Formats: sequence, C-alpha cells, structure tokens
Amino acid sequence: MTAPLHEPTAEAAPSAAEEAVLAGSAEGKAVQGRSLGRIAWERLKRDKLALTGGIVVLVLIAIALLAPVITNLVGQDPETHHEDLIDPLFSTPKGSLGGISADHPFGVEPVNGRDVFARIVYGARISLLVGFLSALVAVVLGTVLGVLAGYFGGWLDAVISRVMDGLLAFPQLLFIIALVSVMPNEMLGLTGTGVRIFVMILVIGFFGWPYVGRVVRGQTLSLREREYVEAARSLGAGRLYILFKELLPNLVAPIIVYTTMMIPTNILTEAALSFLGVGVKPPTASWGQMLSSAIDYYDSDPMYMVIPGLAIFITVLAFNLFGDGVRDALDPKGSR
Amino acid sequence: MITQRTKGRRKKAVAAAALAAALLATAACGGGGTDDGGEGGAAGFDAANNKVAQASEAKKGGELKFAGVQDADSWDTTRGYYGFAWNFMRYYSRTLVTGKAEPGAKGAEVTPDLATSTAKITNDGKTYTYTLRDGVTWEDGKPITSKDVKYGIERQWAQDVLSGGPVYLKDVLDPKGEYPGPYKDKSPDKLGLKAIETPDDKTIVFNLPAANSDFEDMLGMAFASPVRQDKDTKSKYGLKPFSSGPYKFQSYTPNKKLVLVRNENWKQASDPVRKAYPDKISLTLFTNANDMDQRLINGDYDLDINQTGMSPQGRTTALKEHKGNLDNPVSGYVRYAVFPQTVKPFDNIHCRKAVIYGADHESLQTARGGPVAGGDIGTNMLPPSVPGAEGQKYDPYDMAGADKKGNVAKAKEELKACGQPNGFKTTIAVRNNKPVEVATAESLQASLKKVGIDVEIDQYDGAQTTGIIGSPENVKKKGYGIIIMGWGPDFPTVQGFGLPLWNSKYILESGNNNFAMIDDKTIDGLFADYVTELDEAKKEQISTEINHKVMEGGYYLPFVFEKFINWRGSNLANVYTTDNYSGQYDFVNLGLKK
Amino acid sequence: MLAYLFRRLFAAAVMLVVIILVVFCIFFLVPRWAGVDPATMFVGKQADPQAIEDVRQKLGLADPILVQVWEFFKGLFAGRTYAAGGDVTECAAPCFGYSFRNEQAIWPVLTDRFPVTLALALGAAVLWLLFGVAAGVLSALKRGSLWDRGAMVVALGGVSLPIYFTGLLSLAIFSYGLGWLDAQYVPLEESFGGWLGGMILPWITLAFLYAAMYARITRATMLEIMGEDYIRTARAKGLREPVVIGKHAMRSTMTPILTMLGMDLGALIGGAILTETTFSLPGLGAAVLKAISDKDLPVILGVTLITSLAVIVANLVVDILYAVIDPRVRLA
Repeated sequence: MTAPLHEPTAEAAPSAAEEAVLAGSAEGKAVQGRSLGRIAWERLKRDKLALTGGIVVLVLIAIALLAPVITNLVGQDPETHHEDLIDPLFSTPKGSLGGISADHPFGVEPVNGRDVFARIVYGARISLLVGFLSALVAVVLGTVLGVLAGYFGGWLDAVISRVMDGLLAFPQLLFIIALVSVMPNEMLGLTGTGVRIFVMILVIGFFGWPYVGRVVRGQTLSLREREYVEAARSLGAGRLYILFKELLPNLVAPIIVYTTMMIPTNILTEAALSFLGVGVKPPTASWGQMLSSAIDYYDSDPMYMVIPGLAIFITVLAFNLFGDGVRDALDPKGSR
Repeated sequence: MITQRTKGRRKKAVAAAALAAALLATAACGGGGTDDGGEGGAAGFDAANNKVAQASEAKKGGELKFAGVQDADSWDTTRGYYGFAWNFMRYYSRTLVTGKAEPGAKGAEVTPDLATSTAKITNDGKTYTYTLRDGVTWEDGKPITSKDVKYGIERQWAQDVLSGGPVYLKDVLDPKGEYPGPYKDKSPDKLGLKAIETPDDKTIVFNLPAANSDFEDMLGMAFASPVRQDKDTKSKYGLKPFSSGPYKFQSYTPNKKLVLVRNENWKQASDPVRKAYPDKISLTLFTNANDMDQRLINGDYDLDINQTGMSPQGRTTALKEHKGNLDNPVSGYVRYAVFPQTVKPFDNIHCRKAVIYGADHESLQTARGGPVAGGDIGTNMLPPSVPGAEGQKYDPYDMAGADKKGNVAKAKEELKACGQPNGFKTTIAVRNNKPVEVATAESLQASLKKVGIDVEIDQYDGAQTTGIIGSPENVKKKGYGIIIMGWGPDFPTVQGFGLPLWNSKYILESGNNNFAMIDDKTIDGLFADYVTELDEAKKEQISTEINHKVMEGGYYLPFVFEKFINWRGSNLANVYTTDNYSGQYDFVNLGLKK
Repeated sequence: MLAYLFRRLFAAAVMLVVIILVVFCIFFLVPRWAGVDPATMFVGKQADPQAIEDVRQKLGLADPILVQVWEFFKGLFAGRTYAAGGDVTECAAPCFGYSFRNEQAIWPVLTDRFPVTLALALGAAVLWLLFGVAAGVLSALKRGSLWDRGAMVVALGGVSLPIYFTGLLSLAIFSYGLGWLDAQYVPLEESFGGWLGGMILPWITLAFLYAAMYARITRATMLEIMGEDYIRTARAKGLREPVVIGKHAMRSTMTPILTMLGMDLGALIGGAILTETTFSLPGLGAAVLKAISDKDLPVILGVTLITSLAVIVANLVVDILYAVIDPRVRLA
C-alpha cells in the first residue's frame, strides 16, 4: 500500500531530534515540536488500517464503559442463571452453537446458563482495564529502569540488572498463591473487586517490567555508542537531554511492540489469577476467566471458547494495528 | 441396605454371597457376548455398578494399565489416606481381615485374609483374637508372622516420622498416647505396645481399653498391614514397600510412573481374596485430565486410578459415543455447605434454615454436574453407603421434593424469626482448586440473592484446607459463614463418617473438621452408645438417629449424594464397584480379556 | 573480561541467596500472617496437636528461617544429616533435601527432569527463531503487503489463546483426531522416534506462542534500522541488497532478539509450566507446579535454584554477546 522501505528515501530529513540539536536554539525546538506532532497526525490519518485499529480500540472502550446500557438493550444481565437452557446430562447448553438464540445472541455458559453476550460485554471492563493498565505499569517501569541501567551503566546498571534477573528467576506462582491467603478485602479506600483489580494490575505489571527493562537496556547499550549520540555529546548536550531527545525516540519501536504484545498475555494472566482466587471474585466476568473455564468444553461447546478468544484476538489485533501506525507516524525517518 | 456384622450372621452372609457370585458368574457366562456389546467389547452402561461385569472373560496375564492425574499421597500403608491408594494397596499388602471381593455393599463386609477367620471376640467386645493362615509369605519367601502384623500397626504411633495417615487404631488401642512408637521403643524387639500381644508367630491378640464396635472394620484397612522390621525404611518406605501380596514394586518415580510385577513368592492357595489375573500392573501419571480422559477413551489405558469421575469434556464424549464403557456409581461422598455457628448470624438456627430454604437445590445439583455426573439431590447428611442411611426418603427440608427450586417464602419467614428480615451479608469459603465447588458457590450466591442474603465468594488456597477452614479462629476472623466441602467415609459406618464432623470432642484448634462447631450432648451421647453397641440392627438405628439430630440442627445444606461417571476400559474383565472403597472399582481382582 | 565475569558470578551468587531467602520467607512468614499453620498440611485428617507438633519438628518448620537457609546451603556443599523420631538419613552433597510429600531425594528428581525441560525449551526456541525472525524480516521488507498483514494476524492468533488451549487443540487434531502422532512423552533412551513423536507438538505449540513476539520485534527493529544512515551508506557503496540486509541490518536487529531469547530460554528452563502440564511432560515445570500446590518446600527450592541459575547464565551469555555483535558496546 505504500512505497517499500528499501526504496532509498532521499527526501527523508535527518532525524528531527538531530536537527534540533544542530539548531540548538529554543526557536528551532518550537518549530520542530509543532511540526513533528502535525506530521505524525497527518501520517496517522493517511494510514487506514491504523485508524481502523484505533477506532476499534475506542469502540471496545465504549462497550466497556456502557456495559450496563448495552446489556439492558438486549435484556440480559451477566449474573442470572438460566439452568433451564442447560442439558442436565452433559452440562452444556441445549441447542446448537452453544445455545445461540434470539434471546442469547452469543449463547449461554455451560453449567449455569449465564448469558455469554452480557458476560463478554461486562468482561471487557475487567479485561481491558487489567490488560492495558498492567502493560502500562510494566512498560513505564521497564523503560525508565532499562534506560537508566543501559545509559548510566556502572553500579546502577549492576543493581537494576540483578534485580531484573532476580524477578525473572523468581517463582511467581509461589508468590501469587501466597498472596491468596493474605489478600486483604479493603485497602487504600478500595473494597472488594476494586482491591482485586488494583492488586492484579500491580502484580502483573511488577512481574512484567523486567522483560521490557532488559530489552530497553540492551537497546540503550547499543544506541548510546552510536554516532549521533556521540555527536550530541560532543556538542555538549546534557545527559538528560540525550536521554529524552536522542535515545527515547529510538526506543519507541520495540516499546510499542512490547506493549501491544503484553496486552493479550496480561488478559490471560488475569484469568489465571482469578482462577487461583487472587483475581476478580465470582460471579464477576472476565474474558480470560471465560476462556479458561471453556477448556473443559473444548469439543462439546466450542463456541464458548471461540467467543472470548475472538474478543481477545480482536482487541490485540486492533491495538497492534494502531500501535504500528503510531510507531510509523512518529518515526522521524519514516517516508510516509 | 442390610449389612451383617455379628459372627453367626456373617457366615451366612458369606455363603449367600458366594452363591450370588456363582449365579452372577454363570449369568455372565451364559449371557456374555450377546446384547452387552459382545466378547471383548464394552459390557454396557452401569454393567459393573454393584454387580460383576464380564467375570468369565478375565484371563491370566497381560499388563493392566492405570492412568491418573493424582499420585497417591504415599504408598506406605501407614501413611496413605487417599481411598484409591488403599484400594490399590491390596495388590501388595495383606491385612488380617479385608473387605470382601464382591460388588456393592457386600464389599464393605470383612472377610478373613491373613487370618484364618474373622475375630474371636471376647471380654465384652474388648478382646479380639486372630490366628494366621499357613503359607502366607513376604516377597522374599519368608513367612508373615503375627509380630510383623503388630509391627506394621505400631508404625501408626510414629507420627513424627510417618505422618499423613489415619490414626484410628492408635486412638482406639492407646487413647492416652502412652506408647512412643516403634522407632523410640526401648524394648529390644521394638514390640513394646501393650495392647497387642503375640503369644506365638501365628496368634495375635488385641486388648482394647474400651470396646469399639467398628474395630474389625479398622483392622480391614490398609493401615493395619504387616511391615517387616528389617525391611522398614521408615520415612522412605512409601517409595518401595515390601510386598506381602501377589504383586511387588518393580519401579516407582513419584508423580510419573509406578510398575508392579508378580510376586513369585505369593501363593494363590494362601489367599482367599485375590485372583491376581494380570502379570504386570502399571500406573502412568498425567498432568492434563482432558488428555488422560481422551487416552482412556482411545484404549491406551484401562482405567483411571483416581476414580473420581471423568472431567466434563471426556464425560460428554464418552456418554455420547461410548456409553457402554461407563459406570455411574454412588461415591459415598456427600457434598454440602456447612454453617459455622461461631460466625454471626449463623449462631441462630433460623438464619441457618433461611439459607437451607433459600437455596435452589436443583441448581446446586446442576452445578455439581447434574443428576448423572453429579448425583441425586442430597437431602440429609448420611451417605447411602453407610448402614442406617435412608437416602432421599429422609428429606426434612423438602429439598428433593416440593422445594427443590428453593422456597423463598419459607426462607423469608426464617429470616424474620432470626431477626434479620431484610437479609444479611456473609462470605462463602471455597477451595480454589475445585472448579465444581466454585460453581456450586456461584449457584448458592445467585439463589440466596433472591431472598436478600448477600454473599461474597472467597476462594482460598485448596492445598491449605486444613490450615484455613480447619482453624475455627481463622474461620471466625474471616467471617466464613458458609463453607463448601465434601466428606466421604473412611470406612462405611456412622463412626467412620460422622465422628470427626459432629462430635464435640473433635472441635480442634487446628485441623478441625467439625466446621459447624456442633457441641450437642445428645449427639455425643449417641456416638458413645454406638461404639459400645454390638448389635447390627441397633447400630443402624443409632446411625439414623444421629443423622436426624444433625439435620434438625440445620448445620448443613447437603448438595448431592455424589455420583461419578467412571470409565471402564473395553479390555477389562471381572469389574465391579465396591462400597468398601466408596463406589470405586475393586482394583485387586480386575482382569484383562487379552 | 575476566574481572567482569568474576563480578557477575559474585553478583549471581548473592542473588541466588536472596531468592532462596525470599522463598523461605514466603513459605514461612506469609502463612503466619494469614494465621495458617503449614504443619497441618502434612498430617492426616484427624491429627491431634501432638502429631502436628511432631511434624513441625520433623520438617524443621519450627526453626528460625535463617537457620533453615543456612542448613539448606550447607547441605548443598557439605551434605546433611536428617534425624527425626529415630529415623536417620544421610544426604550426601549436593544435598537438595527430601520432598516433604513423598520423601523422594530432590537431586535425582532435578537431574531426571532437567533434560526434558531443556529439550523442550531448546527445540521450541530453534523453531520460533527460525520462523519468527524469518517472518519478521519478510514482513519488514514487504511492509504493508498482504504477507505482512497476514503474518501479523496469524502471529497474533498464537498469543490470543492460552497455551493450554492451543496445546489441547493440537492434541485433539493431530493426536486424537488424525492419529499422526502419539504425543506421549517417551524417554530419549527408550526410543528416539517415540521421543520425537512426543516432543513435536509441544515444540510447535510453544514456538507458536513465542514466534509472534519475535516476528513483531524483528519487524519493528528491522524497520527502524533500515532507515539508519549506515544502511544508506552501505547501499550507496553499491552493496547488493541481500548483503545489506544479511550483514548490516541483521546484526543490529539481533540485539533485542538476543535479549528476549536470553530471558525466554532462562524462564522456560525453569519450567514451561503450562506446556508441560498440557502435554504431561515430566519436566521441571510440572514438578514445580505440583510442589507449589502441595507446599513441598524442598522441591520448590531445588527448582528455583535451577531456574535462577538458568536465567543468570542465559542473561550473562546475552550480555557478553552484546559486545560480540556490536563492538562498540563495552562490558562494564
């Protein structure tokens, strides 16, 4: 859909940041800053796939926010049991395709007959919140600490790196199961599911950051010796300046990819945590929880697996498309 | 159901059972290979449930292949506590008496094994005397003596080394805990336990401080197996027990694989119980239950050693395509919710009853797996395999009758009587490693919401069950008003089932099982009567009475009298379920068709 | 270089001690906060207080944590003698202790299960590197093409379903359904064919999960690098495109891939818990899962030690490789 990248891009300007350094003045910065943002937006607007991805993400967020309204429209709620729709012998929904009907557009759950559509809609709240926020926690922590370790080196690097090694090597499951027994019911003014979500975001984010951290550190290590960084340094740019203006923009690509790839993993981790009793309390729905309980019906009620699986897939795909678009748009060397 | 335990009647029962078995065997011979799927095929749905399937097709030889997802807690006869492990132990360990190798309730009756006959009971039921059979040997060919039996039983006292198993014999023979156990025994032969005498190698005498009418049932359990002192590897014994039965350990890697091969020194003539059909018995352990079920269906393995029913996916496939390979026995377990009286407002009987009436019993049954895979709606607390049980005939709260969908009006009435007309809030405690129990918690939550009782579900670490709900202080602190559990009899009597649940003596600070904190003089008194009562009919009557008292107290909300759907491989012969092991197949006499 | 290695190894040793200490703390302190007595998990259903106390003594649950940690490390190097209630067991170095549950010595368990896990991790890594990196490079070169988008959709499918699902589905299709593979673990000593037949599905399933990540990272880094000056320079010099990509671009693309590989391999060697559970592979992951749910401390400690070592070694190798790939990076 666009020119292949290996086509030499003659008009590609030197890195915007580099120019800023060369210009060196406040005036140059202002001009560049404004145009960089506008350029990015212009580029993003032209990327139809990325826009579609962005819109889907927005729609998903809207669905999560409007869950009660949507389920009311359909006339279902996520917690009512409909055991009359369940075949008592097999525990699976009566009728084909997981009990899909006019009343239950996505069918009903095995065993208790709760409406799958309503649970998917409500589940979006938990899954998106936990998936996004914990990825955010991991990425922020990982980027900051990774850059610090890679750029400053020395004892700071040694300490951060060993902490990362330690966390990677640590038996997380042991920690999480131990957490089950000391899980408080109230903290920081939150109660019930609020506490659970907060703890989950922290736990998933905390065990996830070393993955980002190590990648960022590695990249930083190799970037800090690059010519343009050398150049900036020799021109007398401050450390922080180099950090934020020279290194971070070049780390955007792996970071965006990492973030988008962490979301599905986190959504599924949420399921595992809920399953172990650290996550949301039943009967609260989440996509991951639905998917993991579908394992016992993988052949007898495949729709029950397909629907939450698709929900996660669509979310991840949309986020990836959007992420790619943003990455490309921000890429100062990009040709589009 | 009538079980006969007094001596004279027991003999008659043996004769009757032998006749019945012979009839069944002939029936199987005559009828085999026609409507039941044919020679070499599956015997038909429920063909081995309380009756023998394809007895005549069992051939000597072959490898009997067990699969499982759960290894035994220990294969040491003193330490194991899982029912399937006791069942399997009969392959390599013999006891003075054991359950009959017969289907259903008959299997729970004791029959002589190492001993020549059942006990000679004297001294008002306080002295039990046995004589050992001739020709009984260990796997190295040396004879099994009464001293080996005594030593094997003494190991139960060494809880500091051999923890985990039941301690019934220790409690009955040495209630004050005076004997320090064989490893700390000062006497040179390490046989210092006074309550057991071994006047010669063939005779063993048990002297009980107080009579216990279930004593012989206890001696029939795996933990009463003989162990030879020079072969006792103490804490490591479970990795390679020394065999007294027809098979011995060839190799064992915990959580991976166990292989038994024939014990050449075991003589068929010395053993009235075991048929020892296969040449080799193996157990392969899986970590994915769905995978295991599929491999059972494919015929790679003969049966599931855990005998706790197939998982939902395998069950569905099997019910649809291989119904003839399934049995649907009653497991002997009651699944229930229990209300600790220490947690408010469950100190008030009316609040407890409000929950009982408010629950949708049919929905709870569906959550357990429905009428076939889950079981009949439980209407009281005594499992059907226990003498004195009445099954659904005793239904004081109409749970299987008019109110099976719950009775909101009655529940609201009880709430009013309890002083909580608008309902209340409480917490359900449920193990996080039992998805079915979580499903029942959700069902209960949904139905109680309708009567205004607002419950939160707390999933706790299932591995720490005894530490969490077994500590009354913790239960109170966490406000667990409803605990979801299940319980099966260690041996099928009211003592083997209900004593730790309902007797005030069993309210413990740690490792408590009397979750309801029942402290009722009448119930305690009935148990005291039971253990001294030797007449079977009266014992049953007392059992029934205990059950009624428990139900009248409203301490429990039973869900189901549990049933399983178990897989019976097409190559299995001589298959039957036994009440001795809670409706499991009797492993010891399974044979292969080819 | 030697000094660097020495420092890293010293840091690694410190880290191991810290991790083991934390495991001990979680095992002993957390139950205390929760008011749960760990000893009750190891006694029977009707245990009396004396039995619980005996078990506490036997398992050493009553000793202070530091004493236990010290005993544990001492056992690793000098061996250890266990004595409880008249039962004396000598445990020669390296002594990892005995399982609380089945009294099995831990060291043989680790040596028995390690090769399974290693084979699983390495085999899968080869596959995901081959396919992931190749797909990533192709996507980057044909950016925006149908191939690019298609590869992304497939790759994302792999991460959207949990591995216990993809694993079970692959079993349902290739083993139960088509019957192409038996897909049951057979030790390598017994039969090579059987072993291969048992490992192929786990390898593919695991690789499917990771390939997505590698493909995406490769693609992103590649795109980034193709815009760099030195690539432009290389092209300007008249180098042929394959040389530019193969020699110049790939070299830089390797940095994040190596980093990830180090972490992923380290983590997988510590136990691909879900994969091993799904395929019933008798590896470390299945063992540690069981041990954690059984509260079998010695097994947890043993596996944790191996995991930590694997992660440390893998990351050390990666850090050294940074310097090899990119001579500008100095080891500090």
